[in-house]
Amino acid sequence: MATIDVHPQTATHHHDEHGDDHAHHGNFWTTYIFSEDHKVIAKQFLFTGMAWALIGGMLSVLFRLQLGFPEANLGWLKPILGGWLTPEGKIDPEFYLALVTMHGTIMVFFVLTAGLSGTFSNFLIPLQIGARDMASGFMNMLSYWFFFLSSAIMFISLFISTGPAAGGWVIYPPLSALPQAISGSGLGMTLWLVSMALFIVSSLLGSINYITTVINMRTLGMSFTKLPLTIWAFFLTAIIGILSFPVLFAAALLLIFDRSFGTSFYLSDIYIGGEALPNQGGSPILFQHLFWFLGHPEVYIVLLPALGITSEIIATNSRKPIFGYKAMVGSMLFIAILSFVVWAHHMFVTGMNPFLGSIFTLLTLIIAVPSAVKIFNYVTTLWKGNIRFTPAMLFSIGLVSFFLTGGITGIFLGNSAVDIQLHDTYFVVAHFHLVMGSASFFGMMAGVYHWFPKMFGRMMDEKLGYLHFWLTFIGVYLVFFPMHYIGIAGFPRRYYTWTAFETFSGFADLNMLVSVAAIITMVAQFIFLFNFIYNIFRGKLAPANPWNATTLEWTTPRLPGHGNWVGEIPTVYRWPYDYSKPGSKEDFIPQHIPYSETPESNLPHENDEIKLEMGGAGAIVVEERKH
Amino acid sequence: MTWIISLGAILVLVILYMIFKIGNLVGLVKGKKEEEFSISWNNANAIMFMIFMVVGLGGFFWYSYAHFDEYTLPVASIHGEVTDSLFWITMWVTVVAFAIIFVVMFWFTFAYKYEKGRKAAYFADNHKLEILWTVVPAIVLALLVFRGLRVWHEITGPASKEAVVVEMVGQQWLWMARYPGVKDKTLGHHNYKLIDASNEFGLDLTDKNSYDDFKSLELHIPVGQEILMKIRAKDVLHSVFLPHFRVKMDAVPGVQTHFKFTATKTTAQMREELNNPAFNYEMACTEVCGKGHFSMKFPVVVDTQEDYQEWLESQESWLKQNPDYLKYVPAELKEAAMIKAGIPLDNTVTVQTAAIK
Amino acid sequence: MSEAVDFKIVEEPKRPMAMNPKKFGMWLFMASVLMLFISLTSAYIVRQAEGNWLFFDLPTIFVVSTAIIVVSSVTMQLAFWSARKDDVERVKVMVLLTAILGLAFVISQYLGWKDLVARSVYLVGNPSGSFLYIITGLHAIHLVSAVVFLLFVLYSSFRNKVNSKNTVQIEICTTYWHFLGVLWVYLYVFLTLLR
Repeated sequence: MATIDVHPQTATHHHDEHGDDHAHHGNFWTTYIFSEDHKVIAKQFLFTGMAWALIGGMLSVLFRLQLGFPEANLGWLKPILGGWLTPEGKIDPEFYLALVTMHGTIMVFFVLTAGLSGTFSNFLIPLQIGARDMASGFMNMLSYWFFFLSSAIMFISLFISTGPAAGGWVIYPPLSALPQAISGSGLGMTLWLVSMALFIVSSLLGSINYITTVINMRTLGMSFTKLPLTIWAFFLTAIIGILSFPVLFAAALLLIFDRSFGTSFYLSDIYIGGEALPNQGGSPILFQHLFWFLGHPEVYIVLLPALGITSEIIATNSRKPIFGYKAMVGSMLFIAILSFVVWAHHMFVTGMNPFLGSIFTLLTLIIAVPSAVKIFNYVTTLWKGNIRFTPAMLFSIGLVSFFLTGGITGIFLGNSAVDIQLHDTYFVVAHFHLVMGSASFFGMMAGVYHWFPKMFGRMMDEKLGYLHFWLTFIGVYLVFFPMHYIGIAGFPRRYYTWTAFETFSGFADLNMLVSVAAIITMVAQFIFLFNFIYNIFRGKLAPANPWNATTLEWTTPRLPGHGNWVGEIPTVYRWPYDYSKPGSKEDFIPQHIPYSETPESNLPHENDEIKLEMGGAGAIVVEERKH
Repeated sequence: MTWIISLGAILVLVILYMIFKIGNLVGLVKGKKEEEFSISWNNANAIMFMIFMVVGLGGFFWYSYAHFDEYTLPVASIHGEVTDSLFWITMWVTVVAFAIIFVVMFWFTFAYKYEKGRKAAYFADNHKLEILWTVVPAIVLALLVFRGLRVWHEITGPASKEAVVVEMVGQQWLWMARYPGVKDKTLGHHNYKLIDASNEFGLDLTDKNSYDDFKSLELHIPVGQEILMKIRAKDVLHSVFLPHFRVKMDAVPGVQTHFKFTATKTTAQMREELNNPAFNYEMACTEVCGKGHFSMKFPVVVDTQEDYQEWLESQESWLKQNPDYLKYVPAELKEAAMIKAGIPLDNTVTVQTAAIK
Repeated sequence: MSEAVDFKIVEEPKRPMAMNPKKFGMWLFMASVLMLFISLTSAYIVRQAEGNWLFFDLPTIFVVSTAIIVVSSVTMQLAFWSARKDDVERVKVMVLLTAILGLAFVISQYLGWKDLVARSVYLVGNPSGSFLYIITGLHAIHLVSAVVFLLFVLYSSFRNKVNSKNTVQIEICTTYWHFLGVLWVYLYVFLTLLR
């Protein structure tokens, strides 16, 4: 972990040399390590998240090697894996489960929750709403350091002798509660739980800050109807986080008591390792209910920020207003609410009350409607645009494509009767990796490419970005699309090998294809890494507004210093999507340009606002109080 | 093989690194004057999207058509045929929707790629359009859901009284089947505290229904008759998965779950249909349960009703196989137990029983 | 930090919503604490519905706890009002009194636990007992955190930092204290009704 944290220091240090005229005098520790500046914290989240993404990706390559080349001798990995290889050079079956578990945990929580939401909520909320910093810089700093501590513990758990947690990222008890059942449920699981408890604290600190900032710290004129969709997305994500993470905490707390203090919340009637355990009266299903009450909203915690980022990037690079701004906000709001009432669709075959199953089928398929609306709106935004394929734009289009491909299979899985056969097969793996994993990952990549100039004051190389995109885009499809076939054929997930069954022993070729594609995709990420690190130091200096975008962050200096704006914070007069407005000379009008300056392009109702503008800032406030 | 792969990976890395280097050098040589937005790269990306769309969609349709038989698992249960039809209806609906949106989206990326001097349309909303694409998916989904819910209701409804009862017990890492026996046709009580090396089910021998229960290491079921599978687990979660019968249900320690289904094809019929004399039905575990999760195979045989009856009668009761456990049978039931379990009543046992009395 | 200076550049009264960010943050924190207890009580209901549930009476001393926490809410509110009236001495007394009542509540809860143990209801055993210990224990931990917060307020009051011009800290503390009081009343009613 140490290597990772060197980056933000060196990176930001470098910039300060290049004329950060905004005086902020702190020593090295308060400026770069325990910084309270939202931009530094965002970078800290980004670097840690990227390091985790690499680790998580590597783990997936390891288990893909096992699945794609079951006969291969992996003896050459002995120096890294040591005792986790069997004498024949195979991955140990228990270690295989540990790999799958840690891959899931790392990707869902550490990369796509902290890495994505932590980075961009921190970076963009103050910049896009026109605030000097977060509501509480101190809490923001704590949020990162809790995350760091949580990361460190999870990282250490990878190296302990009994191995990390291995009961799946959903840690269903009794498997996760009994060290007798799997060695990963010993110390590895304890560390997992401690790490997640810290993670929850970090996430809550962050979310409280994001919401408070969005509500209380907007600049003059920045009413809710003028918020960029990114902010809407981060705002709703934070609300979901505040309401759902405590539930995971409760679930984990009860599990800790079951594991360490002998209570029986989740355990009952267990005979294992030659003895009958005294626990009686617990219910493993209870854990699943509590877990998925977080677990499902978590999907949207991961996805909504990516969708917000994409909305912004697609509009900017199509040079068109996002189609149906209100519908976009409405659908996100609707998704956020519905995400709390669909959790049990993960549990259709747990033996729960079939009537509940019907209710959850109904609610689950309702959530497909706002998702479909979002896709249609993205596609319509492209229509009659003037599209510039920046790497960020490519990744955003990739996101929409994944969201479509993966989202549509949700219609199968949400239907309880169809889910019986598909549940826990590779069909599910394909579904959520596309709709949630890859889509959100692409959102994160799009965000990095798009805001890199504002983060580091330099440009990334576009051609390497194209190469990175095409390899990753095609690679991801080659990895996950074939899994649909494997899943329809009934292959269960989390299988070390399928050769034990006649029914599942086919498709060796497809599995090999998937593994090769996974390796290529993984290798392609190094292109990005190179492009990213190299250009932090050597990149072309960025203009203040390289994409001709309208939102407030582009009105800051090339490399905004502490406090973000030199002088006064701009006042906002218009919505963030005035691209290619008829009549205007430029194809974009930033949010801080008053209507009075653009009489040639104003719509009739906007001309009415000029009168208010003339009345001074106070008039704007009158309008704002309505919200 | 592995060497080739690792070597290949390293080579790819090296080549990529060279590409970065060269690209950067070229950039440096050209200098910073070339800041103009590159229209040729923009067009290249747009064309790539078109190629991707055509090849991707084409490959999808071709593979799905050409390899249809490989991934469609034959179905052998009544409800399985219904859920399969629902699956394929959903497939058609979604594939049509998918293909249309996919083509339209990538066509837009190509058709509206950047052109100098062109201005994009200022098209911010259109309520009719938005209502249309909210309502249409809602209706289509509603139709799918209602059909699905009807099927779900039937599948999860109560089993008929004539259903053949079988109990599946999961443990790390094997399955066991318990049959209620031919005499009382009722499963005996069990208690996890009675489990030991021989009494793997935790049979409660104070319950007279348990005497003729028998264990089987193969699931035999009769064709055309409803089966009520009762499912439990001894240690951690497991999940019964009978892929050909479209049956899946978790095995939960401390909770009994169940699933009812009716097989439509015997093993012999299926062998004939698939033209594969080696074909066997299988049962797997689909809930991660530890090291041996991938190996929890349990053979399944679907018999004709006559064969099934014959097989049933040829099975020995568990108590007969483990006569030591007679000592746990309450004395007053011992005789009945021996009769039910099919243990010949010899003098020694009766004498012992008398002595205990 | 220069942060405080930065905030003053923006004129507060013209903000669309005038709530103090810290106060607002406390409300959000309370929302998440509430979710924690809602999930535990939901789990309690779900688990209870499954049967095999040990029934026992709540310790009678919980009535005393409830009374203590209600009184402490009153003293807390008095402290807040005194702060607004610049009655600094009374603030000190009332805050101290509230803190003592808070500790008394925790002790009373502890006596309740002892009573449970005396009646053979243990943490380890039937989930009905386990739930009771965990729910009351978690609430007590939150209450202890509030007492620590009170001590901070007390410290500020001794440094003359709690008065009519500086009410934010004591106001947040009062809100939190009332919240924990109401939370306990909810839990007590819940646990009494759903035995």
